[in-house]
Amino acid sequence: MKTVGKSSDIESRQSIAAHAVRQLRKKGADDVVVSASSDEIAQLKFSNSRISTTQSWQSERLNIFLAIDKRLVSTSIREMSAAAADDAIARMLKFAKAAVPNKEYSGIASGPFSYNDIKDTYDPAIVELGEGAVDVLKSAIDVAHRNGAKRTAGILEMHSNSAYLLTSGGVEAEDRGTKAYFSLRAFVDKYASGHHTCNSRVLRKFTPEASAERAAVIAKQAVSPKSGEPGIYDVIFAPLPFANLLESVGKAASIFNVESKLSCFAGKLGKKVGSEGVTLVDDATLPNGFDSVKFDEEGVPTQRNVIIEKGVLKTYLHNTSTARRHKVKTTANAGLVAPTPFNLVLQNGNLNKEEMIRQVKRGLIVTNVWYTRFQNYEAGDFSTIPRDGIFLVENGKVTGPVKELRISDNLIRILQGISAVGSEQEQVFGWEVEVPTSTPSVLVKGVKVTKSVE
Amino acid sequence: MVAKSDRVSDGDALDLDLAHFAIDYARKVGASYADARLEATVVNGFVLKNGVPQVAGFDRVSGLGLRVVIKGTLGFASTNILSRENLKRVVERAVKVTSAASSIGEKVRFSPEGAAVASYDVKQKVKIADLSPKEKLKVLFDAEKAIKAAKVNVPGRFFSMSDFYAEKYFVNTEGSKVLSRIPRTDFWYFLTVEEGGRTAQRYWQYGAAGGFETIYNHGFPELLASEVKATHSNLKKAVVAPKEKVDLVVAPQITGIMVHESVGHPYEADRVLGREAAQAGESFINAGMLGTRIGSDAVNIVDDPTIPGSFGYYLYDDEGVKARERWLIKRGIITELLHNRETSAIMGGRSNGSARATGYDREPIVRMANSIVKPGNYTEAELIESVKFGVFIKNFMEWNIDDKRLNAKYTGAEAFMIRNGRLAEPVWRPTIEVSTPKLWGSVDAVAGNMEFHAGTCGKAEPMQAIPVWFGGPSMRIRNLKLSF
Repeated sequence: MKTVGKSSDIESRQSIAAHAVRQLRKKGADDVVVSASSDEIAQLKFSNSRISTTQSWQSERLNIFLAIDKRLVSTSIREMSAAAADDAIARMLKFAKAAVPNKEYSGIASGPFSYNDIKDTYDPAIVELGEGAVDVLKSAIDVAHRNGAKRTAGILEMHSNSAYLLTSGGVEAEDRGTKAYFSLRAFVDKYASGHHTCNSRVLRKFTPEASAERAAVIAKQAVSPKSGEPGIYDVIFAPLPFANLLESVGKAASIFNVESKLSCFAGKLGKKVGSEGVTLVDDATLPNGFDSVKFDEEGVPTQRNVIIEKGVLKTYLHNTSTARRHKVKTTANAGLVAPTPFNLVLQNGNLNKEEMIRQVKRGLIVTNVWYTRFQNYEAGDFSTIPRDGIFLVENGKVTGPVKELRISDNLIRILQGISAVGSEQEQVFGWEVEVPTSTPSVLVKGVKVTKSVE
Repeated sequence: MVAKSDRVSDGDALDLDLAHFAIDYARKVGASYADARLEATVVNGFVLKNGVPQVAGFDRVSGLGLRVVIKGTLGFASTNILSRENLKRVVERAVKVTSAASSIGEKVRFSPEGAAVASYDVKQKVKIADLSPKEKLKVLFDAEKAIKAAKVNVPGRFFSMSDFYAEKYFVNTEGSKVLSRIPRTDFWYFLTVEEGGRTAQRYWQYGAAGGFETIYNHGFPELLASEVKATHSNLKKAVVAPKEKVDLVVAPQITGIMVHESVGHPYEADRVLGREAAQAGESFINAGMLGTRIGSDAVNIVDDPTIPGSFGYYLYDDEGVKARERWLIKRGIITELLHNRETSAIMGGRSNGSARATGYDREPIVRMANSIVKPGNYTEAELIESVKFGVFIKNFMEWNIDDKRLNAKYTGAEAFMIRNGRLAEPVWRPTIEVSTPKLWGSVDAVAGNMEFHAGTCGKAEPMQAIPVWFGGPSMRIRNLKLSF
């Protein structure tokens, strides 16, 4: 893997971006946002404990957003030349002319702004790792096997990125970052598996061997599961599955989804949406946060936003345009169209896993879920399927693995049913969790569990 | 609709020599096999949210994806920086990393397939490029108007429409050269209907290969007006679903999702071999189950990429293998899995042309194209008439299935009781929660009212969301208990 964004590349991107902003302003644009990015990603994909494919991606792009008389147009160009930019500009103006105004659009942020560095978001060791990643993976697979896995599958991925932003609002900003991501699913047999993931922006905090061990331990404990029974259970969600549900909570906080009826938080600002133990934050300034970034898509310095505090919904996520329309301040979550969360964080409680298990009379430990789907986003009605080890808890003790169950419940009810929050947080990112989410294990009372009819 | 020739002419937006350059250079630096896909796609997208147009986007995406086999191990690399110097660097890096990976790499073999030389395209009656953004947006505003005119309270109205024109050139070191040009359109809606302080939601997608006529042909104004009226009626009048065992008649949308989830996916041979284990999962199917019974005699299921105008349409897959209809289940017996060249080499046999990638920047993996239940001899009316006490489910909202594809849930949206062979009052969220063998074993009659529905199917990491059709006719499912 080579370092991206060499100084000559950045210079050319900067001059093309300046050219695009200048030209579009000259042609009557009200707002222009140009963002340039370079990405290099290298991945080892493995299955049956052997590398099945090496993969690498290299991409450069320059995105242009234009507002002219409230007509909004976006495009991107891949060729870094003034000629390509001119061609895109001409097409954008033609496109805008034939478009229809968005009367709700209320502009972009006025800069300039100053930005703070975020700790642990760039590590040259990730950039330089190259084929050294093969040894990292080999060690992790070995650890899984030493802990009882018969076969493993997953991903080891290294990513480096540089970004540059220039707007007609006086914003000029630069950032760069690195990421390391590991996902391993361990199998003891076809019906006994465990999954764990880890991620980091810096190599020294990256722990694939620990993840491999945890996945293998779950798989080993999950051997010979009994068919589970439907009913109402107290459920201890491990961080991996609870991050999946919290991602839906975080997305429901976006004002775009609230307006689109894709959120169960409409009309609930200032109201109780969760139990006392629920404090959920979106924090793009989190040190080593997987999606931490200095500025949002319109260049506003990112910040820490408390979405839910002690169970009460405190804010929706906004960009400048939606914030002006709703007469609040931007939360620096642009998305130029749809505000989005960056890093969700559920605040720690004070119970460890053993203490949580002791509180459960009849319950389940769920170590992973997938295929979360909603019957009604506004109501919050959904179901999701536990996968990998599911463990029955009876009278405060784990009594064995079970299988073939489904959680069919309601998102608000889940948040309100949280009776204990664990003390050990994990940052989760993966195939089923696209918004990086830090969460401890969580105990939810009275969860509805269903299964296939006989 | 399809023009084919033995000679490959230049793509409109592609410098075909670049693909040849990439594989030739890969051979030079040690690859025992190489292939390249050079792609250029033009995309336009429009969104209307509660009557307000959001940002309209257009994009020209181009780049090259390359596969190499080095010391027996497979490597994939992609770039959108298409200078020859950069392509050399990309190839060299792929060779270096894959060489290092071969120490713990799977040894890949490809099934023997002849070299394919072809070019084909899909004709457009109404050319996507000839319409202005305003003309395209009119489709969304007309849909909005039709919903308003339906006089139902619909506080959430979200429409998204995209069109694509994809040119793709595939070459490999075995002499294959395939050029394709495929236009596609995609429309989806998400509606929230309110009545008495309660809401019901409906989402659906329409997609096809072809020009903008495919958008016009769907007839969205009428379709959406009837959708909101039906959703409203269900919300207002629906009764609780019966608790006892009932006979069900499910309409083509339900048939389609059942085929896709519980037949198409578990028959993907890469899942059977564990290749997708940490992502979309594995399969309850194994090679030893070929020739065994999974459903009743009434069940005939195929996946066919060659259906003209289909959302999953192609004539050659992304390994240059000629596409054909695949019989997954014949009269209830498992007959064939979906294969690429690698899985077919492992399991014995030839590829059946199932390798697809969502773009130049993704590796080709085993995918469905258009999965359908074959039509039977009944009419839908006859199926309903044959049920004394049961439920007719027309469409659905929530669904999911476990990652081995054994236990699925489908929660109905528009649905009605069947009493003495006639449709009666609406039913609230009848939920089928059933194992795959139980489901297909309980289907005892299939109608002839074929419908094809569009979906965007997810698999792989990074995610590859690929266009597919799924569908079939209405089916009768006997003696099943609904879930609560």
